[in-house]
Amino acid sequence: MSTRKGKNYPYGIHVKDMKELCSESQIVKMPAPKKVYISMSQHIGAPAIPIVNVGDTVTKRQLIGQSSGVISANVYSSICGTVTAIEDIVTGNGQKMKYVVIENDGREEEIFFDNISDFEPKTVIERIRLAGIVGLGGAGFPTAVKLSPATQLDTLVINGAECEPYLNCDYRLMIENTEDIYRGIKYCAMALGIRKIVIGIEANKPKAIEAFAKYHDLDVVVLKKQYPMGSEKHLIYCTTGRKVPCGKMPFDVGCCVQNIKTVIAIKHAIEDNKALSSTVLTVSGYGIQNPMNLRVQIGTPLEDIIEFCGGTKGETVKLIAGGPMMGRAMMNTTAYTRKTDSGFLFLTKSEAAVSEPTNCINCAVCAKNCPMRLMPMYIESFALAGDYASAEQYGAMNCIECGSCAYNCPAKRSLVQSIQMAKAKIKEMKQNGR
Amino acid sequence: MADKLLKFSSSPHVKAVRTTKQIMRHVCIALLPACIAGVVFFGLNAALLIALSLTSAILSEVVYHLICGKKLKEIYAGFDYTSAVTGLLIALSVGVQTPWYAIILANIFAIVVVKMIFGGTGKNLVNPAVTGRIFAFMSFLSLMSNGWVNPNFASLSGASSINAETNATLLTDLLKGNAPALSNLDLLLGTGLAGCIGETCKVALILGGIYLAVLGIINIGYPAIYIAVTGLFTVCLNGFDFNCFLPAILSGGLMLGAIFMATDYTTSPNTTLGNIVYFALLGLLTAGLRQATGIEVVSFVILLMNLFVPLIDKFVRPKPFGFQKQKGGKK
Repeated sequence: MSTRKGKNYPYGIHVKDMKELCSESQIVKMPAPKKVYISMSQHIGAPAIPIVNVGDTVTKRQLIGQSSGVISANVYSSICGTVTAIEDIVTGNGQKMKYVVIENDGREEEIFFDNISDFEPKTVIERIRLAGIVGLGGAGFPTAVKLSPATQLDTLVINGAECEPYLNCDYRLMIENTEDIYRGIKYCAMALGIRKIVIGIEANKPKAIEAFAKYHDLDVVVLKKQYPMGSEKHLIYCTTGRKVPCGKMPFDVGCCVQNIKTVIAIKHAIEDNKALSSTVLTVSGYGIQNPMNLRVQIGTPLEDIIEFCGGTKGETVKLIAGGPMMGRAMMNTTAYTRKTDSGFLFLTKSEAAVSEPTNCINCAVCAKNCPMRLMPMYIESFALAGDYASAEQYGAMNCIECGSCAYNCPAKRSLVQSIQMAKAKIKEMKQNGR
Repeated sequence: MADKLLKFSSSPHVKAVRTTKQIMRHVCIALLPACIAGVVFFGLNAALLIALSLTSAILSEVVYHLICGKKLKEIYAGFDYTSAVTGLLIALSVGVQTPWYAIILANIFAIVVVKMIFGGTGKNLVNPAVTGRIFAFMSFLSLMSNGWVNPNFASLSGASSINAETNATLLTDLLKGNAPALSNLDLLLGTGLAGCIGETCKVALILGGIYLAVLGIINIGYPAIYIAVTGLFTVCLNGFDFNCFLPAILSGGLMLGAIFMATDYTTSPNTTLGNIVYFALLGLLTAGLRQATGIEVVSFVILLMNLFVPLIDKFVRPKPFGFQKQKGGKK
């Protein structure tokens, strides 16, 4: 089956790829650590409620955190061992969350779900919900909810863009686990009752494009290498030509977007009866000895990952969870792998942007590049002046926080930070207004 | 690495390398051909004048910062070449006969009154160089607009040298049926043209413009719109006489103004459409006022249009991706 070129979208930026650090290294399975710290809040929505007690013995893939609402997800143990603590921990990004700490006892047991008897959309969605699958691209929205839209959709869009620099996990999975992805996609489509499936892959991943071209029922769309091609709205536009209206969601234009890692998790939950308990990460940057792609158990401490990758080298000035454009900075190495993690980056001084901001010179580079066609310099100045109503008028709420504006800003201003603040304040104002 | 806190900030964590300082340094480099041409055409005096202008611009900024209580080290670290650009532009847009005190005053006015008092780089309402030049011209009108010095090169077409300030009236001469004093080639090269230091040799200015365009610092389309509209509107005003086109675009300070002054980031609109409107209006006004007044008006027009930029930016705004018109009746 042939591939087709995606629609051209003129706004966006070209970022330095940096994928070559580990784009050709196969995914390595990291051995289970001695201790795992499993967060009860690895998704958007209400945190899961721990259903184990300190001292309990748990088995791999045993339910330890019960979903506590519609927008919530189950959490499973990723190793066999004993629960040693259930406590609040402040991680390196400043977030305080409830963790279940499990000490490994070296057993090699595993719990599986029962076989699915009938492949009906309802049973499939129920299994996805049970397995604790959430959007693994980063947002962590419960997949079962996403697969039960109020209206009938007509297109399933698979996000294989991976436009963030450094990250390679989706790319490696697309080459190494092509068949798993294909089967996962088919289950997704079946759950949604959709026949039209498009998969968007950026042109800098020819091997992945080739891998998917053999499936005659997939519409493989080759996307221009451009940031932020992996943004839902832009991916939908470039693959189907539909524009998601401001303030609306993909399902308003009949589309459902799923991430590569999510569809693999769906396949494992349905065919292999496995709950979600591991994830694939890219550990990269000039600050790490051996950049590589890893399959790690959820809850693995970052310190163990650093050790497995041969330790750090040079002076890391910034440690990022996720991609460098939208990921979160961390002030220390206190971090435990979560479902939605896609990588840990160790950026040295030559890579990380740490310059001080200067006056805005009104060059309008930010507005020229903004993929949402906003004017970041105005939103920023309104936000800094406390005029949030004007910031909203200039479309602050449409911002997808992709960082295209701040990437090219010659004055090195923290545009995204100011816009994030404006968004939070506008939300607050609206809530208080009601 | 565990014992030390790492840098914590909002995304994005990687950025492009280009800074304001680098951009302004590139603009200075782009002005070099014009400076060299000025020195070649008008001799050592031009070199002295450029040096004086550059120093007084930078010194004005430094002294202002010192008065405000900044330390020299901070001033050095924060120096972003914008004052150097202003100093160079002021020197290039005056004649070599300009008295030294006029140059110094123009720079002090441009840097202190136009830029620093409003908040420094990026905060000025109007272009400092343009305003400084106008300030000096208005203050020392007879000294600055008389006594033009002939360049070191005679006209290729053999005509006697004429000065740049009256060379906008060349068009009116042309209209009246008089033969133009200089050929278009003379106007392009600046041979035999007694005018401002940097405005004489158009080739040098175009070279600088191409340099900036290649580096992506300016969009060459915008000055092109300005220049083309000026030329075409002059043609229209002169009863569609296309012989006016080249003299109109090659005379006076149009090239310097269009390529280096009107494209100033701070005082030009922020959208593509806004810029098209801005540069087209500049062209219309330049051609129209030149015709009406018989003097060179480029810097006045730029100053005037600078004041309209906030208005243009208020009305010309891009529509957000996925923008939908609110349906009538909906609150």
